[in-house]
Amino acid sequence: MPMEEKIGVYVCECGPNIADKVDIDKVVETISSLPSVNVVERHKLLCSEDGKKFLKESIQKNELTRIVVAACSPKQHEVTFMRVCESAGINPYFFQLTNIREQCAWIIDDKEEATERTIRYIRAAIRRVLYHKALEKKEIEANPDVLVIGGGIAGISASLLLASGDRKVYLIEKTKVVGGKVREFAKLFPRMEPCSDIISQKIKEVENNKNIEVHTDSEVSEVLGFLGNFVAKVNTSENKAIEQPSEQAIKEKGLENKELELKVGAVVVATGFSMLDLQQLPQYGYGKYDNVYTALEFEKMNAEGKILLKNGKPPKQIAIIHCVGREKVGYCSRVCCMYSLKFANYIKSKLPSVKVSHLYTDLTVPGKTYQKFYEQTKEKDVEFIRAQDIEITESNGQLTINHKGTPNLKPLNTDMVILSSAITPSSDAHKLAEMLNISQGDNGFFVEEHPKLAPVSTSMEGIFITGCAQGPKNISDSIVQAQAVAGKILSSIIPGKKLELEVKTSEISEALCIGCQTCLEVCSYGAIYFDEIKRVCIVNEVLCRGCGNCVGSCPSGAASSKHFTTTQLHQEVVEALR
Amino acid sequence: MKGAILKIENSIEKTIIEFLKKGLDKKLFDVVLIPVKVPAGDSYAWVLVQDKALLEDANPLPPVMLVQGAKALSSITRRGKSNKKIAAIMRPCEIRASIELSKLQQIDLENICLISIDCPGALPLKDYLEDTKKGIDTFKKVIKEWGNESVRPICQMCDKSVGLSIQSDLHIGIFGAKNNEIYLIPSSQKGKSILEEIGIPAEESMDNWEKKTKEFVETRKKNRKKIQSTLSEKVMGLDNLLETFSNCINCHNCQSVCPICYCRQCYFESEKMKLSSDDYLIRAESKGILRFLPDTLLFHLGRMTHMSLSCVGCGACEDACPMSIKVAQIFSIVGDRSQKVFNYIPGKSIEESLPLKVYEEDEFHDVEKP
Repeated sequence: MPMEEKIGVYVCECGPNIADKVDIDKVVETISSLPSVNVVERHKLLCSEDGKKFLKESIQKNELTRIVVAACSPKQHEVTFMRVCESAGINPYFFQLTNIREQCAWIIDDKEEATERTIRYIRAAIRRVLYHKALEKKEIEANPDVLVIGGGIAGISASLLLASGDRKVYLIEKTKVVGGKVREFAKLFPRMEPCSDIISQKIKEVENNKNIEVHTDSEVSEVLGFLGNFVAKVNTSENKAIEQPSEQAIKEKGLENKELELKVGAVVVATGFSMLDLQQLPQYGYGKYDNVYTALEFEKMNAEGKILLKNGKPPKQIAIIHCVGREKVGYCSRVCCMYSLKFANYIKSKLPSVKVSHLYTDLTVPGKTYQKFYEQTKEKDVEFIRAQDIEITESNGQLTINHKGTPNLKPLNTDMVILSSAITPSSDAHKLAEMLNISQGDNGFFVEEHPKLAPVSTSMEGIFITGCAQGPKNISDSIVQAQAVAGKILSSIIPGKKLELEVKTSEISEALCIGCQTCLEVCSYGAIYFDEIKRVCIVNEVLCRGCGNCVGSCPSGAASSKHFTTTQLHQEVVEALR
Repeated sequence: MKGAILKIENSIEKTIIEFLKKGLDKKLFDVVLIPVKVPAGDSYAWVLVQDKALLEDANPLPPVMLVQGAKALSSITRRGKSNKKIAAIMRPCEIRASIELSKLQQIDLENICLISIDCPGALPLKDYLEDTKKGIDTFKKVIKEWGNESVRPICQMCDKSVGLSIQSDLHIGIFGAKNNEIYLIPSSQKGKSILEEIGIPAEESMDNWEKKTKEFVETRKKNRKKIQSTLSEKVMGLDNLLETFSNCINCHNCQSVCPICYCRQCYFESEKMKLSSDDYLIRAESKGILRFLPDTLLFHLGRMTHMSLSCVGCGACEDACPMSIKVAQIFSIVGDRSQKVFNYIPGKSIEESLPLKVYEEDEFHDVEKP
């Protein structure tokens, strides 16, 4: 056991929370009698300004080397007290917080028992803190530049917010132009304002922004590295000469095809979506019958001018079918109901006499403006039919929609059908997932680290997801998410500032590692690699977030977690069970 | 099921050795890993044999199990694959341990041809060493009378000793074979092409042998249950375990001979387990009594937790125990139970991942309850 440490124990009353349930006098008396303890104090509320000042002064006055605080959950105030330790000039990891509120005071009715257990916990913490090691903060240089993959509305929005004098953005677009699918939209729901007002404006801003380097006809082929230090390879066949050739464009593979090497600190995945392949749903007759269109095809037809049948005549009746493929993909695509309503408005403004029928199973019109849009559309003599098990047939150019769902309703005859089909993950999502080591959900969309706590982060630190790449969503939500991503990056990588790394990382003992690589399989952060020569696994401390998966799975006890070593836990448990 | 038939010349062992020589001749493998009689006496050691002449002293089925074969194979390929083709001829439990070790990257099976053999069991090491001549005679009887009770108790309860319950490349069937025949049954492409190259393609029906081995396995299963249930009564629960292992002298032989014990250093031999006198005195004070060497039972429980999913029941631990503790039999009870939980049979197939590496979202709801 390490000797000659000066230990201070501080018991917090937490107002009445602990004081009413635990006999703190007895705790102080018992702990004071332990030979290894130098100072035992109680305080009404240690996390208060007064409490923190008291703690700091006491540490300094008594020249303590190890601190135990018995108070609330570490989730609440561990960091608070660690900062106090730091300000008092003692390594914050020479500190242990033991939870006597949630784990004693709040759950044990009998005061004597709660007191006894409090003493036990404090003794365990004292024992543990003796085996703590000083851990030092580590910092690395971080590149503030950002790689944005995908030049749709999400990618553009993120780029615009991120680019600044001291932060460059590389916007990589697979097709010939930026703007994404939104470019082809005539108007936007629910305000029916021309799409060009918003999109053209944004595209122009991107093109004029000197800090955004756009590469069209380009694809990312490799991304290596970690938060603050990624190196990406981009294959580009774009024709336009880059006005200011980047210093980082290193390799040239030929005149037409170039390979760029970009160094960035963060990566934004904004690769958008695809639409469900309607060949998979033959009952809708897409590809078989002339006047059955996908939503995107109709959007384009409308944007280009007239709404006409294949034979050049204007339609008399148009049916818009919602939820096409929803059951197949197993999720609601969120935007189809709204753009279907938008289509009705397109039609009614160009061909007021055309009969428009919506066939839907459920309507999704959430939020503060959509309901009104729906009601206004309905007033324009637009029919809504609840329909299921739809099957489309054709005879002599007349389309017939057979359906169930509303009793006593005959099959619907129509000239034109628009299929509002499910939004699916971008066709190369799996390729990207593999390249970036980020996960896809069952449905194929990229998975956020946590739906609520980290909704735009991925399991790879420094790689963010936004827009429909993360899941189906409308333009507003895509922009909101893009700005959230920008916010995350702006606040985590600040030009000129170093990145603070996780201190409590894992380490793998070279002597004990058997090289089975189990840890490699369970590491969610790609933080472990196998050294072929030494035949052992090694932790990359920059990537490791200290989750402990490797420690738990290591069959030979080679992996350990700093600040949660077997010795520390063993000593704590031994004393707790004594 | 199809296989090839070999006529026995001299003895089963010699017939197998002749077969291996043909394989060496035809360069189907460069080396053979096989037990060879040691010069000092009637004992055996694993030897890599390249020279055909030296195969004369080899015995594919020695009466005892000295070093577990998987341990030998691991020491050859632990740091990477063998660049020469090795035919390793082993008992089924040794093959199974090899497969477990390959899942832990402790054996590289590339360029290895695993040849298994119907195993009548092995004699207890102590019995054999008392009188090796008698031992050799006894073992001759054992091969003839399958189910002979002179073999180790763990062998008497082994339900994977015969037939195709394991994934080798080539299996040698000797159980229930007609007096003058042994069978070669391929279970991989590697095994199949070896037979073809040697000119004895697997064309004969093995149905009869398969049926007989299955029947034998069934009787073994019953025997296993019987032995386990009798033993369970004596070892279940902390008090019984304490008593059972109270004989233990902490030599850790069981650990050092275990093929699966993969750690570079046993936790129980590490610095982490060496405490200060104060620590021991505190423990003694709080318990009123503390036995030395300490943590005896903890060591065995630790090994059980570590090994039970991969334990192939080879019995090396029990053979090595100087205090005759029924380590292997106790481990077989724990092993069967924990393996059943994951529906996992150690060493059955290289394709099956170690259960603790597989993430199942939907499992063990019974242990989730508060």
